[in-house]
Amino acid sequence: MRVPEGFCRYLSMHEHCTERVLARAKVLRPEEVETSTDPETVRIKKMVYAVMGESHRMKAFVRLAPQGEAVLYGFMEPRHRIGVHICDSFARRNEGTIIVLGNGRESWIALSWEGRIWRNRGGGMAETLEKLRLMAALRCGQDGSCEEKAVACDFNDKNPCKDLSGVEDLWQVYYDSQYCPERKNLAAFKRNMPRRDQEAAGLRLVQNRRNATLDSFNIK
Amino acid sequence: MVSLDKIAHLAAECRFDSSGPAQGASLVGIDGGGIDAEKLSSLGEGTRHDVCASTYSPREKPLPGICHAFTQDGRCVSLFKTLFTNHCTHQCSYCINATGCTNKTRAFSYTPEELARITHSLYRSNYIEGLFLSSGAGRDEDRITEKMIETARMLREKFAFNGYIHLKVLPGCSQAHIQEAALLADRLSINLEAASSSHMNEICSTKDYNNDILQRQRYIQQILNGSSSSSGSGRSPSVLPAGQTTQLIVGAAGESDEEIFQRVIHEYREIGVKRAYYSAFSPQEGTPLESKAAQPLWREHRLYQMDWLYRIYHFRAEEISHAFNEDGFLGNADPKMAIAREFLDRPVDPNTATLPELLRVPGIGPKSARRIMAIRKSRPIGSKADLSAMGIAVKRAAPFLKINGWRDTTLEMWQP
Repeated sequence: MRVPEGFCRYLSMHEHCTERVLARAKVLRPEEVETSTDPETVRIKKMVYAVMGESHRMKAFVRLAPQGEAVLYGFMEPRHRIGVHICDSFARRNEGTIIVLGNGRESWIALSWEGRIWRNRGGGMAETLEKLRLMAALRCGQDGSCEEKAVACDFNDKNPCKDLSGVEDLWQVYYDSQYCPERKNLAAFKRNMPRRDQEAAGLRLVQNRRNATLDSFNIK
Repeated sequence: MVSLDKIAHLAAECRFDSSGPAQGASLVGIDGGGIDAEKLSSLGEGTRHDVCASTYSPREKPLPGICHAFTQDGRCVSLFKTLFTNHCTHQCSYCINATGCTNKTRAFSYTPEELARITHSLYRSNYIEGLFLSSGAGRDEDRITEKMIETARMLREKFAFNGYIHLKVLPGCSQAHIQEAALLADRLSINLEAASSSHMNEICSTKDYNNDILQRQRYIQQILNGSSSSSGSGRSPSVLPAGQTTQLIVGAAGESDEEIFQRVIHEYREIGVKRAYYSAFSPQEGTPLESKAAQPLWREHRLYQMDWLYRIYHFRAEEISHAFNEDGFLGNADPKMAIAREFLDRPVDPNTATLPELLRVPGIGPKSARRIMAIRKSRPIGSKADLSAMGIAVKRAAPFLKINGWRDTTLEMWQP
């Protein structure tokens, strides 16, 4: 019995995965992956865990904003080749809505409906969103008087755009309300929210903004 | 891969194909949505001490456990955790919403529609995995429960919400309401708060421990038993896939760790709760217990370790009871180490030991124990380096192991 298909699929998404590494992984047995101390097997296992870790954190940290009624988009610049995988996952979570994830260079598009997923890949996200906006505007012009507003964002930036729906502000008030000062544990916070992944997801998390003072920003 | 045009066209068709109102519902925010920030904050703060560790729900298509953010106290924020109202007529001496509190905040309440819209907006924008809804009892717990159920129903039906829902059962609410809530939620829970009826009387004079709390737990248990017998053995129950849980406040009523432990064992064995959560008592301004000292967080941590030994390592309750001192308290040390000093009088050979024997060695967890069992089938384990490569905390484990016929004897092992 060889390693499950999912193992090799995750491995193939790793930024440094080569045909040779993939071929080696395909002949491994599951118990070998679990128990072997052979350096290459250990490395393969670490590569898979790295992809799984980043996938999990992108599913957790990427925030989506609406463009019209049919599109949700979010900034994402992952290290590994997980764009399609994450986009599919968001599409399944939001059936019938077009999901666009991406950054200034590339974008992934997916739509899930009745158990099927339709995918596309494009250039920069601004360009993809603009195309979708024009298509929607054209359709609006045909069947009614609705307006599709353009999204004003710079997707080359790490913090691409201000969320116009107001959900981010709503979230920030709620997020602040959950903090227990008597349990302050910055080490656990940093371990669970690595800065690298926050940046990859374009997260703009203002920590405990409501209670922030100048001291919080180390201004003397 | 299909063209962008086709995707846009398909999405437009979905809209005319009764795709569910979720897609059409606009997202609400602080500015445009008319949400009161003070209300959002106050009702959110009311659940700060409620714990819900994971949003995993073993439905037919399982829901993943995802933490969408962590606060600076290192705890996961995966759900929109809120009170429906902070108005309450109970007299719990630890709670800022109780009648006797002199420092009460303004009373707020959501409407089901408002709460459902906020949850929908946060879920669709990928800030949360679902809703954790608790509440003050208001003037009548059944009326508030009805509103909570209405919120959950609105989410499921009007907003086609497929996320996780955890509903708190209010003490004393009717069996019919519990049954109704069970059809909509992934998990129900009712907080025990105290370890026994007498301890409950110490901290709250208006709740009847046996009738208002334990009896409600049995109602949930009956629903779960009925559901699992109808869905067949081994399958996830068709209602409440994530079962029921409970939570205790540690140290508010002066109970010992052993009393908490005995209660929790009873909960696991007799009530069938999936998990018990512990929250170290922290005094709140204006409450009758304001001047009582806060309990150290390590006490909560040690109780979780003890809980883990029982649920995951399958230690017997009698073994675990050796970790308590004469007064029934756990010290600030790993209870597994204390139990190992008591019971492991002979060194364990990793090449011949059974799984339960390996699990009783400090530094060896379920994963590494299974790894030892697998690796020794192909070759013997002959050194500490071998164990280290398998992820075992060798420094802690070595005094209790016999490797290649040799055993480390350290002073640490004989510490009282």
